[in-house]
Amino acid sequence: MPNFDLAAVLTDEFRGWLLDGFLLSIELTAITWLIALPLATFIALCRLSSVRVARGLGFALVEGFRNIPLLVQLLFWYFAVPELLPEALRSWLYEHDAEIVCAVAGLTFYTAAFMAEDIRSGIRAVPVTQLEAARALGFSFLASMRRIVLPQAVRIIVPPLISQTLNLWKNTSIATVIGTAELMYQAQRVETASFRGVETFTVVTLAYLAVSLLITALSVWFQRRFPVRAS
Amino acid sequence: MKPTQALIIAAGMAAVFLSPVAFSDQLADIRKKGELVCGVLGTDEPMSFIDPATRTLVGYDVDLCQVVAKKIGVPAKVKQLAVAARIPELQQGRVDILSATLTHTKEREAVVDFSLHTFITGQKVMVRRDSGIAKLAQLAGKKVVTVKGGTQEPNMRKAVPTVDVVTFETAPQAFVALQQRKAIGFVNDEVSLFDAYGKLGAAQKDYVVLPESISVEAIALGLRKNEPALKTLVNDALRELEASGAAEKLFFKWFGPNSRLKYGQRSFKIDSDRI
Amino acid sequence: MIDIIDTYWLYFLVGQYPDGPLGGLVLTLLLGFTAVVLALPLGVLLGLARVSVRRWLRWPVTALVYVVRGTPLLMVVFWAYFFLPSVTGHKTNQFTTMLAALVFFNGAYLAEIVRAGIQGIAKGQMECARSLGLNYTQAMRYIILPQAARNMLPSLVNQFVTTIKETSLGYIIGLAELSFVASQINTQLLTRPVAVFGTLALAYFILCLGLSRIAYYLEVRRSRVAT
Repeated sequence: MPNFDLAAVLTDEFRGWLLDGFLLSIELTAITWLIALPLATFIALCRLSSVRVARGLGFALVEGFRNIPLLVQLLFWYFAVPELLPEALRSWLYEHDAEIVCAVAGLTFYTAAFMAEDIRSGIRAVPVTQLEAARALGFSFLASMRRIVLPQAVRIIVPPLISQTLNLWKNTSIATVIGTAELMYQAQRVETASFRGVETFTVVTLAYLAVSLLITALSVWFQRRFPVRAS
Repeated sequence: MKPTQALIIAAGMAAVFLSPVAFSDQLADIRKKGELVCGVLGTDEPMSFIDPATRTLVGYDVDLCQVVAKKIGVPAKVKQLAVAARIPELQQGRVDILSATLTHTKEREAVVDFSLHTFITGQKVMVRRDSGIAKLAQLAGKKVVTVKGGTQEPNMRKAVPTVDVVTFETAPQAFVALQQRKAIGFVNDEVSLFDAYGKLGAAQKDYVVLPESISVEAIALGLRKNEPALKTLVNDALRELEASGAAEKLFFKWFGPNSRLKYGQRSFKIDSDRI
Repeated sequence: MIDIIDTYWLYFLVGQYPDGPLGGLVLTLLLGFTAVVLALPLGVLLGLARVSVRRWLRWPVTALVYVVRGTPLLMVVFWAYFFLPSVTGHKTNQFTTMLAALVFFNGAYLAEIVRAGIQGIAKGQMECARSLGLNYTQAMRYIILPQAARNMLPSLVNQFVTTIKETSLGYIIGLAELSFVASQINTQLLTRPVAVFGTLALAYFILCLGLSRIAYYLEVRRSRVAT
């Protein structure tokens, strides 16, 4: 390989850019995760509910957000949705980092749809007798879910959820198309300024891998520490 | 050592020492291949863009590419590239020549060669009239948009150090962002700006192009380094074009009174590659 | 939205073809299909390596799979872009670049599906085959893999759906697939982003939902037929 010069892409200036991008990617992941998880739980419960409208809504949300590429959803959130908002809200949005807000919105709904399916499978894996027993004892549907079923479902749900978190971390890279200055965006910037594609992408790949491997290790630890009890 | 061994070693050394001298002759390769692959942007009217009626790539850059191809004596194949991909694609041999609104800069000279300058323009900023911005300095601390991978972002930051620049994959995409009021200004080279301005039609009264240039851009064709035969031929083709008056005609075809830009005269000649 | 579909349906469908390279929906489908078809043998090879008893095979492949699965697809696309020409010595265009990235990336994911499929076949099958005198390779080829293939079919169709969505990343390297074409239309029209991107979303939705329904149907049929 003709002179691989890592130092060329790690000058103070470039390092600063890449670090900013890395931190923003982490922030996007964290904020999205915190909003997507409750949303996903809500959607999962909708799909399991006995109310037909709720089931329909849940199904529509899941299928809608899962079958459209994230790139398209992000473009829609950034270029189409603000045009539908009232003038005041739109101006407020543009004053306050629309790129980040729209990235979080797009990532949240996309990730929530996948998480909802994992949560639903996890809940369904808990024997239905648990729910029946809870109802027989007088708990409402929601209370049975909250106190009896969900705690048992958690062990089953966590590994796939960690997997979705990994996907979320990687998906933040797509936000570069709507101008969000996360790690991939900064990588493109450094590459243009330094003319050194291989070195730039080596550094950035290692950055993504570092966090990915951390998340995977977390999953392995969890499955070892909290194995699923046979029922 | 035995004579045959010595001969082999000598041949090996000769091969090693002579190989740098044997340039890959790109011009001969192009003739052998039977076509000239030109990289163009396709998103930068009127330098290169897709004519919606015929769905083909047309423009000033595309025509220049045809001129060079004709001089070599092969047909031209026009390939669309992203702004950020221009130099990498040329360096990797995926295109033979760049005719993609490429600015001649000192930094780029380290990695590519440039032909005679085919266009001189500046980079400017377009703002909304109701933003009240009339001078570049007023953009301090505000948000502007432009395309990824070009000289727009660094030039803007040099002109107004505290400006916030957000970049998109294509210039038209950034222009949409300006129109949606996601930013105060849109940075691009003068020609592309005036073309976009022309496209606005009735909405022109809402926008104004700030008179100060943030840079002067000498646009040239991009060539791989160490290809003297091809470079000489390209520059000869450009000189002939200028001498015959065809260069001026080409300018007026795309930028003259019948176009959206309506330039009354051409302020440069195709005769130099000094910056 | 109807008027946009009416005016631009051909551009949406095939891009600039025949006056330029193929693009639009047809390109998306072609790219997705070719990527899955080529990723499959790679996935099988990597999957077999993952279950192999030979450590020198298992460990590097496991490491490779972990690395690929920990990297965003967009990163793999940029790598293919910068790396491919120097490795293959060929000049590659955007289609080939995207194809290579998708094949490589999906190969690693398919390796896991294949591994799960193989390990899902009762161990007894391998033991029976061996006791009947077949060696490991023959057992795999004639007994295990055919059964695993039937198990894997719904997952494979799902992988096809995922790959269709992944082709949208071609937008970023200027490949004229469906999303790029829609974006070009949007910059032409300027004032109809909701309609243009709405149409784009709808196109993918119908395509992917249709395919995943087929996968669901296959899954249901398989569990009904399974012994």
